Amino acid sequence: MTTTASTAVSRKPIRWGRVAVHLGCLAALLVMLYPLAWLLATSLKPANEVIASLDLLPSHLEWSNYKTAFEGVNDVSIWRLLGNSLLIAGGAVLGNVISCSLAAYAFARLRFRMRGPLFAFMIATIMLPHHAVLIPQYIIFNKLGLVNTYWPLILPKFLATEAFFVFLIVQFMRGLPRELEEAARIDGCGPFRSFFKVILPLTRPALITTAIFTFIWTWNDFFTQLIYLFDPDKFTLTLALRSFVDASSQSAFGPMFAMSVIALLPIVLFFLAFQRFLVEGMASSGLKG
Amino acid sequence: MTTTQTPAAPPARAAAPTKRRPKRQREGAAWVFLSPWVLGATVLTLLPMVVSLYLSFTDYDLFNPPHWVGLRNYVQMFTEDPRYWRSVMTTLTYVVIAVPLQLALALVVALALKNMRHGKGFYRSAFYAPSLLGASMSIALVWRALFNDGGTVDHLFGNGGWINRPGWSLLAVALLTVWQFGAPMVIFLAGLQQIPAELYEAAAVDGAGKWRQFVSVTVPMLSPVLFFNLVLQTIQAFQVFTPAFAVSAGKGGPADSTLVYTLYLYDRGFVASHMGYASAMAWVLLLVIGAVTAVLFRTSRSWVFYASEGDR
Amino acid sequence: MPGHRTKGFCASAAALALCAVLAGCGGSGESAGGGKVVLRYTWWGNPDRAARTEQAVALFEKQHPDVRVQTSFSGYDAYKQKLAIQATGGDAPDVMQLDYRQIDQYASGHVLLDLGKVEDTLRTGEIDPGLLATGRVDGKQYAIPQGRGTETVVYDVKAWKASGVPLPRKGWTWSEWADDIRELARKTGRPGATDPGQSEDAFEVWLRGRGKALYTKDGGLGFTADDLAKWWTFTDRLRREGAVSPAEQTTQLDGSVENTPLGRGKATADFNWDAPSSGYLALIPTGVALAPMPSGDDGTPGQYFKPSMFLGIGAHTGHPEEAARLIDFLLNDSGAAKILGATRGIPVNETIRERTASELKDFDKTVSDFQASLEGTLKDPPQAPPSGDNALQTTFQRDYDQVSYQRMSPREAAKNYVTEAKAELRS
Repeated sequence: MTTTASTAVSRKPIRWGRVAVHLGCLAALLVMLYPLAWLLATSLKPANEVIASLDLLPSHLEWSNYKTAFEGVNDVSIWRLLGNSLLIAGGAVLGNVISCSLAAYAFARLRFRMRGPLFAFMIATIMLPHHAVLIPQYIIFNKLGLVNTYWPLILPKFLATEAFFVFLIVQFMRGLPRELEEAARIDGCGPFRSFFKVILPLTRPALITTAIFTFIWTWNDFFTQLIYLFDPDKFTLTLALRSFVDASSQSAFGPMFAMSVIALLPIVLFFLAFQRFLVEGMASSGLKG
Repeated sequence: MTTTQTPAAPPARAAAPTKRRPKRQREGAAWVFLSPWVLGATVLTLLPMVVSLYLSFTDYDLFNPPHWVGLRNYVQMFTEDPRYWRSVMTTLTYVVIAVPLQLALALVVALALKNMRHGKGFYRSAFYAPSLLGASMSIALVWRALFNDGGTVDHLFGNGGWINRPGWSLLAVALLTVWQFGAPMVIFLAGLQQIPAELYEAAAVDGAGKWRQFVSVTVPMLSPVLFFNLVLQTIQAFQVFTPAFAVSAGKGGPADSTLVYTLYLYDRGFVASHMGYASAMAWVLLLVIGAVTAVLFRTSRSWVFYASEGDR
Repeated sequence: MPGHRTKGFCASAAALALCAVLAGCGGSGESAGGGKVVLRYTWWGNPDRAARTEQAVALFEKQHPDVRVQTSFSGYDAYKQKLAIQATGGDAPDVMQLDYRQIDQYASGHVLLDLGKVEDTLRTGEIDPGLLATGRVDGKQYAIPQGRGTETVVYDVKAWKASGVPLPRKGWTWSEWADDIRELARKTGRPGATDPGQSEDAFEVWLRGRGKALYTKDGGLGFTADDLAKWWTFTDRLRREGAVSPAEQTTQLDGSVENTPLGRGKATADFNWDAPSSGYLALIPTGVALAPMPSGDDGTPGQYFKPSMFLGIGAHTGHPEEAARLIDFLLNDSGAAKILGATRGIPVNETIRERTASELKDFDKTVSDFQASLEGTLKDPPQAPPSGDNALQTTFQRDYDQVSYQRMSPREAAKNYVTEAKAELRS
């Protein structure tokens, strides 16, 4: 839209179109955020008010719901559950960042036979439905005795199985000027040193995006956790939530949603801290595709 | 699209001896970098794919060794299993409802935000937040409660909520996906902002009104992004699991109306212990997704317009 | 400088990964310190049963300070799912509760430990041999029945009496039941009972009342699509008349007492097993009563005394001795028996049964009296259902959903079920 470069006196009339758009967005936002507000409100409602009415506001703040939630599920305290979730997510982040950046560097900057076909194969795996490999992976881990441990959840991340991030980092690396490596090479660096000293530090934005998305997706990943973890004290918050649902009746909604709020907190915190990275990471992944 | 890649500087100082290492050594380095990926791709992707293809021809309950049954799983799937077809129809219905709705909403909001002067960043982040939260079990539980007997939807519309009514339960699941339109929206927004303003000005000069500008400038320029979003969301939609699981409490009900394909696969494989059958289902899913993607790519030639050719 | 931040990030990430490794390795159920043996014990049931079981477990831990028992429970449906996954993963709990349907599949699938290996610790001498035999597969004992139960029509006493409809009585037939339910619905304005169409158990009782059985001796289907179509037409008609619960209510059944129409106050009666019916007391404070299941039109009783549930040990448990001790405690210890009462059915240990019979109070007494009233009138129980019945129980429900939501006629749905069952039993 062209900005008016007209007289300094110009007091523009109220653009009703603009106002309407703002109002529309605001209304849409309120509807969108309603479920979150509902969640927060319900987590603080006493049992009898949960289904009773449309009222969002609880009559009084039932903090005991949170107390119950803190006791955890099946005898496992919430700190343990939180710790488990953090462990898995943290391990996944480490794995992805390391392995995906290594692979991306090879694809983006190094020449080798079959680079083209391998790259195409990698892209294809992004579109592969996970279920085609799920069962044999399960069998492999089963035979190795690794079911009911965290290995099946973390090990694949160290082997660059999430091609989406490899792709993301490749695209980013392609944007870095080649002179950098030329210069490094002249200074006597081999591919390893130029990777670690030159390219990697510059790839930080893509790495951070990778780290954040990995964290969030792993945190929320239900299915894999469902099939691999059995011991209640190995459960993550996500699994514990589901357990909670199974073992209790309708009337335990308050504590269940209190626990839901707790389970969402890390994601919310990440989001608030890193929103720019997230949004821009998301945007660039779409554009460079 | 327009990835900036400065052309490689010509090897100027040919005199420097350390400049080019022997090709073999450089290739060796590449393989070192690639080794985790190669290991992962072989052991965790290729090998399982082959194994699952093999398993799809067997009867395997994980307790006893697999025994070969040839095409029986496939035959059973296609001719003796009415539930299978129901899961296919459910998934297709879901894809057809959720994906267009979500993308349309994303586009509309992106358009609304494009020219906003104040608050664009705020709205962008705010609409994006649900995409991150929506995949969680927490939100899925909230969704189930909202649409259930006694939930908000019940209070608003009466009738006991949607979860227990076959036609509407899938809609509830679809709405959860639509709620997460923030991710494609952000991509659309970025794409919209890349469209050079001159194009709009030129169109305006030629006498095009708002709508015409939209159709002739915005849509074509946005088509690669649209395509990207379409492919991504469609592939994801075919594999939807957690919302359907949470909303139906793992049962795919009522009357199988939320029994999406992957939920049925999980049920057959992990609950009823028919791993061979589940593997067959997985391969069919793979082929279908491949086919749909191929179709999308083919048709894209007629409507996707790349501003700069010679990409990739 | 860019390097710094990355370094710090890498260091903390490395620390995290190390923790992940350690946590992942500590997987076999040993706790980190103290040297206590940790057993996983899971069951399904209502909160009342859970409370009592936890009490009994606490008593066990007191008597055996070197063992810690980690418990978990859920509703029946969820329990089945979870156990199936665990069993498939080769990591079944140390001690688990099992349904009659699961014995065959899990025993032959090497999920259960041959209890002959721990027979010194797990004493079975005082258990009725006939009952004990139900837990045997191929001559080996894989599970011990915990109690004896039978099905019942459980109903809200106050509401039923107030309606003026004659109370349920011994020997009543399905037609009489249907008439009573219709009357009830008319008088009370809400369905008389839960729709029994979705219950494979109720179907079995009806089938046996007509002289047939669910399965034949060699594991095939014991009935035809016609039989099933008759049953589903029968229940569907009642549903249409409003005599039994509508589809939206029936579909919410998940094995827990809270999610039944009776439990929610939306019906006057339900079909359930006798012992778990104690869960209704918390929801219907004015009291519930147990009545026999309807018989066939010629008076043939369809219900039977079933081993209500079994206890088994995971084949790959690290602590078979301790697990055996826990089971022995639950079955044979009089302290445990006092706490558990009849929450899982009447105790199988005969000495305990006689001793506790007089001490049973409240609902436990009701269950005991109910079973006593049926003693000698019922036919022999069928043999253990073939593996596959486990999955079919759910298929049955889902297929009936199609009927109750009017997406399919009873006849079509019955044909579907028979096809599915045949495929399931074949493998």
